[in-house]
Amino acid sequence: MTTSPALGQRDASWMAARRAEAASKVPALSMPSTREEIWRYLDLDFDPRLDAFAEAPGPAMAADAIVTGWKGEVISIVDGFATDASLPLVTETSEDELLTKETDLFVAAYMAFSPGAVVLSGDRLATPVLIDVQSTGSNTTFPGVHIDVPAGSDASVVVRMRSASDEGSVVVPRLTSVVGDNARLNLSVVQDWNYATRSFARAIVTLGRDAGLTLAEAGIGGLLSRLHLDVDFVGNGSYAKIYGAYFGEDDQTLDYRYFMNHIGTNTRCDMFLKGAVEDDALSVFTGLIRIEETGQKTESFQTNRNLILSSGASAQSVPNLEILANDVKCGHGSSVGPLDENQRYYLMSRGLTPDRADQLQVRGFFEQVVSHIPDDVVADWVRARIIAKYVTAQREGRV
Amino acid sequence: MTNALEVHDLRASIGDLQILKGFDLVVPFGEVHAIMGPNGSGKSTFSHVLMGKSDYEASGSAKVAGVEVMGLSVDERARAGLFQAFQYPTEIPGVTLDELTHEMALSNPDDTGFDQRIAETSERLSMDPFRTRSINLGLSGGEKKRSEMYLLGVADPRVAILDEIDSGLDIDAVRQVAAMVEDLRDPQIGVVIITHYSRILRYINADKVHVMVAGRIVESGGPEVADTLEAGGYADYQIAAASAS
Repeated sequence: MTTSPALGQRDASWMAARRAEAASKVPALSMPSTREEIWRYLDLDFDPRLDAFAEAPGPAMAADAIVTGWKGEVISIVDGFATDASLPLVTETSEDELLTKETDLFVAAYMAFSPGAVVLSGDRLATPVLIDVQSTGSNTTFPGVHIDVPAGSDASVVVRMRSASDEGSVVVPRLTSVVGDNARLNLSVVQDWNYATRSFARAIVTLGRDAGLTLAEAGIGGLLSRLHLDVDFVGNGSYAKIYGAYFGEDDQTLDYRYFMNHIGTNTRCDMFLKGAVEDDALSVFTGLIRIEETGQKTESFQTNRNLILSSGASAQSVPNLEILANDVKCGHGSSVGPLDENQRYYLMSRGLTPDRADQLQVRGFFEQVVSHIPDDVVADWVRARIIAKYVTAQREGRV
Repeated sequence: MTNALEVHDLRASIGDLQILKGFDLVVPFGEVHAIMGPNGSGKSTFSHVLMGKSDYEASGSAKVAGVEVMGLSVDERARAGLFQAFQYPTEIPGVTLDELTHEMALSNPDDTGFDQRIAETSERLSMDPFRTRSINLGLSGGEKKRSEMYLLGVADPRVAILDEIDSGLDIDAVRQVAAMVEDLRDPQIGVVIITHYSRILRYINADKVHVMVAGRIVESGGPEVADTLEAGGYADYQIAAASAS
């Protein structure tokens, strides 16, 4: 099911009723507690101003290198609103199916205040789609995207998130996808909020039989940027490759909570995240591979590597396994440490200054994940942004 | 006349452990020298201390083409014309050989010969398939040595120190590496091979062979020194060194 009569009805009655109900709950919900594992390590001592939401989009941002270099369709979501009003929005049925995972303050607020997720499906996925998610002011925004990849088809989507101003805002993005039997989704997410934005992104991908997902995420911006991801390997033989690159500086917190839920048999997952932090930045990776009793013959691996570039920076890396089946292959690896002295020595022995040697090492460190971003323009943009952050820090003596 | 390399009274230690105890060596331009010695004699320490690795407390003098390099940083020594081919070349995931040689050229803006040397050395050593791969990652022992020889050819140094260039190689690969070393012989460079086996010296005409024991050179001579070692091993030298200290 990719279309239904309810699509395109921004003010569908079900949504109005849903919003009213959700909105009534929001005041009673409090900020999540950092004593809960899933919120651990974060600083949530701020006023989220969730009811100060944007009621209309601000002026759209100008096209940049990613937009102008894009060779497919571009969809803009400004302050939560699709600028193309003819785009279909999520239906009540799919909303019910997609938002069942949990209820917390941010989920309730999304359900109360989101203008509705844009739905990509059918012919719209025949060519690559760039979704340009923008936050233009200080109001809280709730952008949503749902990608419905029909059985047997291939889709390629880039979601990039950026801010128009330096104003602080809260953003609660939601990204859901159902990848049909034998279908493939190539998804890149580029998070480039300004350094005053707190973003609480929730993503849920459900894979059908023999369905495949490649997800490449790059986390660059945000004062606090969280991505809480579930991949549900429901169909037998479904598989995913998950790559991540993040680079934090200043007081940034980059927070990743990845849950791989193996439900079908013969499912496979390779997860590989690499991050670096400098100044007083913090990164958090908690990953869970959960294999249900039904998930026999699962092969699932997660690796998280972190570079600490300044003494004030820190990285939490917590991979977990929860295995209920008895015939599986599973593994995880995690590391947190400084740049490699041997690599620096080797590169300097070839005539490179210590700064250039370290730049090369940082570039190489990320290349193993950035090279998997399928679109060259996006990959080059991520490479350039990361190395620019590092070179600036070198020049200013912060690393 | 200036020599390629002049080392005088080089001393080095890690903590209380003295490893180099007054090391002297002169390598004229155009010559290939071999330093042989048992495990633990300080051969690899010599190459690392000469290159400036920070693990060691070092003193003494080392001149590369007449320039004192002691006190310089590792990269300054490299740019002064010193090249170390490593026994265990470091793997650098995500950085290709081409990126490294590009950076090497940027680091030496006055040297305009890089592009030509990259093309020629790559051709000579059949390096094309390796240039776009991560440095040393997943290479066999022989391929790593070849990659080091390629970087040596691109760097065009005045002094080349080849640390255990023959270790871990089968006999065919040893011959190939020996041929590469013979190709290096040039009036513009002095070459030092560090090894504990004499077998590579069957394929290289070393001008001098030095025996290193317990942190210093204890004997220097022509290729016949290697033959003596082949027959008698290091035992006599080690006993002499032990009784002298």
